[in-house]
Amino acid sequence: MKHPNPGTNDALRRAQGVPSLSRDASRGSEANELAGLREHQQAWEAFAACAITMIPVLKKQMEAVTQQTERAAMDLMMHIRALTSPAMASRPTETSPNLSKIVMAMQFQDITQQKLEHITQAMDQWQKHLHALLKGPQDESAKQEIAALQQLEQSYTMEEERRLHAAALAPDYQEPVPIETEQTEEESDSVTLF
Amino acid sequence: MAKTALVVDDSPTMRQMVAFTLTNAGFKVVEAEHGKDAVAKVAGGPQMDIVVTDLNMPEMDGISLIKELRKMAAFKFTPILMLTTESALEKKQAGKEAGATGWIVKPFNPDVMLKIIAKVLPA
Repeated sequence: MKHPNPGTNDALRRAQGVPSLSRDASRGSEANELAGLREHQQAWEAFAACAITMIPVLKKQMEAVTQQTERAAMDLMMHIRALTSPAMASRPTETSPNLSKIVMAMQFQDITQQKLEHITQAMDQWQKHLHALLKGPQDESAKQEIAALQQLEQSYTMEEERRLHAAALAPDYQEPVPIETEQTEEESDSVTLF
Repeated sequence: MAKTALVVDDSPTMRQMVAFTLTNAGFKVVEAEHGKDAVAKVAGGPQMDIVVTDLNMPEMDGISLIKELRKMAAFKFTPILMLTTESALEKKQAGKEAGATGWIVKPFNPDVMLKIIAKVLPA
């Protein structure tokens, strides 16, 4: 770890009982240095605690992207096969449902792009926070950065992201079971007319 | 005469998917990358019969775009559909207050989108 300021070495030596290089330093400044070190250590510990919490969340979000990509590729293959099958050639009017499904599957790109952008935002936030911590003890920006990092959930736009976040933080989290209904898509939550 | 649709989304693939759906249904489509681009394209340009816009975009988001469009006489009564991954109720409420006609959560089903458009387009 990079030492945050020149006085840190002395303070560390004193804390470990090693004779100080600047023995004539006043007791007041020693106390200040130790308080600064303690504060710095606390900021690092807070960062570590946040990282331990957030890494599983980000992993879960990335796993979801992989699964979604795979699902979309499988769907696309299935519908393209159906469209190009010899049986379909004799029934040209039936291509429309397959085309609709292809258009739906193709949208995975937009959805996965947004999910990955939210992961990137969190990683950028970590980088900013690490920079702030390396600036030295008593740095106010470090405290602000860690507060921003803990607000990752606010960057989510999709219900699935919020569910995955909750699942990663709570090992006993249960995914909601979808209720089978007779609702058509235009009556479901995916469409709202004002 | 073919109806004209304005499609606004910062994702080129999404714009293509929506344009593909609407063109197949007989619409003429004008595409814009974000709200500011859309405002520039409609200023003094052709009258739009329907607008389909994303929510989160650079430069100008979907809510701000709707507010801007509703200030223009030509867009006072034009149906505007929000097409977004966002499903939070407070966002939908903000869309409604800005003047959106409807809200469709991505991924969209082309058949459902066309049914909704048929419903909101004036006869």
